[in-house]
Amino acid sequence: MPRPRHLTAKPDTPASKTAHSGVVVDGVTKSFGSGEDRTLVLDRMSLTIARGEFVSLIGPSGCGKSTLLKIVAGLLRADEGRVSIDGESVAAATRDKLIGLVPQSPALLPWRTVLGNVRLPVQLNRKANKDRALRDPEEVLRSFGLGKALKRYPSQLSGGMQQRVAIARAFVFDPGVLLMDEPFSALDELNRDQQRFGLLTFWQSNRKAVLFVTHSVPEAVMLSDRIVVMTTHPGGIHRIIENNLPRPRDAGVYEHPDFHRIESEVRSSLREVMEQSHV
Amino acid sequence: MSELQENVVVPDEGGVARSVLTGGASPRRLPRLRLGVWLPPLVAFAALAAAWELYARSHPFVIPTIEDIWTTLSQNPHLYWVNFQTTLREVAVGGGAGIAAAFLLAVLMVELPIFESALMPLMIVLMVTPIVAIAPALVIAFGFGNTPKYMVTALIVFYPMLVNSLAGLRDVDPPALDVFATLHANRWEVFRRLRVPSSMPFVFAGLRIALPLAIVGATVAEFAAAGQQAGLGALISVAASQANLAVIWASILLLCLLGLALVMALALIRKRVLFWDNATQRRT
Repeated sequence: MPRPRHLTAKPDTPASKTAHSGVVVDGVTKSFGSGEDRTLVLDRMSLTIARGEFVSLIGPSGCGKSTLLKIVAGLLRADEGRVSIDGESVAAATRDKLIGLVPQSPALLPWRTVLGNVRLPVQLNRKANKDRALRDPEEVLRSFGLGKALKRYPSQLSGGMQQRVAIARAFVFDPGVLLMDEPFSALDELNRDQQRFGLLTFWQSNRKAVLFVTHSVPEAVMLSDRIVVMTTHPGGIHRIIENNLPRPRDAGVYEHPDFHRIESEVRSSLREVMEQSHV
Repeated sequence: MSELQENVVVPDEGGVARSVLTGGASPRRLPRLRLGVWLPPLVAFAALAAAWELYARSHPFVIPTIEDIWTTLSQNPHLYWVNFQTTLREVAVGGGAGIAAAFLLAVLMVELPIFESALMPLMIVLMVTPIVAIAPALVIAFGFGNTPKYMVTALIVFYPMLVNSLAGLRDVDPPALDVFATLHANRWEVFRRLRVPSSMPFVFAGLRIALPLAIVGATVAEFAAAGQQAGLGALISVAASQANLAVIWASILLLCLLGLALVMALALIRKRVLFWDNATQRRT
């Protein structure tokens, strides 16, 4: 089934209309440990990410944002509630290779070249390759500015380049949903900014539903359509901030008058969360 | 578990140095003769040889002179060659079988944990048993042929190889495993494309212990089955009963050279296979 590719930003779609595409998180609860040590990490969390929508999760550490991402990725099971991806269960979605994961560390295979690493998702679970628009790994890498590094090994690349390879690896098999867990947190600020724009540019011409975990406010603002500020202990939604900064965005987005307004809105929401958690 | 970890050797730094990666830009060159690298050990060996010779001349019943060792080697090249081959075969067959079996068992233990809980206590017993002490029993049970020698050699390499393979097969980068999981990679794909390559630094560390041990195993098994002219260990055992120091030390020298050859070959293979390993690259 062909998936529409959105080249331009579309206005926010009401959640009800997109219930069957993108990611639907419905009343997800998760706790760790047992008995007295049991801690509730996520409390009846509900969230919808429409196809082609970029949603960031931001919140203090321990708010369960990575846990939510792991549940959506099928790496953890929710105690209650359910997650669906393009109308399928998470298990079915992984079976059909609908999810691209970019972990916090690039997690490249050091014995494979850059090209070999990006080919990996195509080589695994080949059954799911049927009827899908696999991309040419070389072409994807070139559009990420890695055309000259195809034959290099991960250890020969800078941290920023490694992370870009990891992102290219997530795009190459054309999944409908991308899950990114603080992919730039290990980079220095200059490098980080460069990688953000790389991601932004590529994603704007290959719109996927993105769930992006971050603890950087400007990062969330420049990338996202919506920013979910999470509460902590237990994790849940404090507030969802709509971000209608025009797309396509580029480095000029920082100068946009609304950028700082949204940024301070996110910051003050985060302060509220922090204050509540200290009460 | 703690006994386990104590036996795990951190993937070694033993590769002979320069990564093939650096060769990417420039064409491969012949290694330069770096005097700074070769001279000090050469001097040390020469000093040792001189001290040996000096001592041997005044104490002929403690150690033979280098000349005596050379004489017996050059007068009986066939004898030494035949026995060298025998020992080499025991190391290759027995050691090879032990190494392969240990790796396979490690795979089984990682994939089906029930095997680990069932067999690990047994493996600990194997570890604390001085394998060389079993040799005479095996010779009685299986005769003076090759079987007991293969068995001792296989047994002696088994435990270090098993523990290192286990550690290696488990040493998988968790986020990489997550990536494989979201792609719904099956067990075989995870094993072949992730676990086995990830385990290689540990496997090579295990081999570096196992190969010299295999020589120990073969030699001791030959001691136990002396009386037959089979293997350098047997040669040593017979020569010892005749107080023939030159033959003993000539055999020891050959065993030494065998060990060196194996370890060097291993280092070369390691450099090829593990060009990506950090330990290898740090030395470039």
